[in-house]
Amino acid sequence: MTEQAVLEQAVIEEKVQVTGPVIEPAEDEALVADELLVEEVSIDGMCGVY
Amino acid sequence: MPQEPVGGGGAGFDLDRPWRVDERVAVRPEPFGALLYHFGTRRLSFLKNVTVLTVLQSLDEHPSARSACAAAGVPADALPVYERALATLAQSQMIQRRCA
Repeated sequence: MTEQAVLEQAVIEEKVQVTGPVIEPAEDEALVADELLVEEVSIDGMCGVY
Repeated sequence: MPQEPVGGGGAGFDLDRPWRVDERVAVRPEPFGALLYHFGTRRLSFLKNVTVLTVLQSLDEHPSARSACAAAGVPADALPVYERALATLAQSQMIQRRCA
């Protein structure tokens, strides 16, 4: 690989890093935990339930 | 024992009041948390972790839901999540306010 090719690859990788999505895992986990802590289901109307 | 109506969603839930599990609710511990069944409303609720089950089961032993959460090891920054979970359970009549 020539020196120019190496430089171009480095530029591409830098662009990807700059333009990539910003992920905030802590916030995502909090939202998931909030949604999942209690889940409700009604069995009214289900066949065989008295 | 007189029961007060439960209002609203999470914002209406009072962490500083005493609460208890409704008498008509069966609690079945599960590996993921617990399954609750209310014989009056015929509703099921799934508790998705063991900590919220611990909070639920100890409500009757504490002067407030906040105290029950603290005793169960709920960190301060997670308290709003548990408050909303308890509010959901109050709305579905799984838990009720009790006299102090």
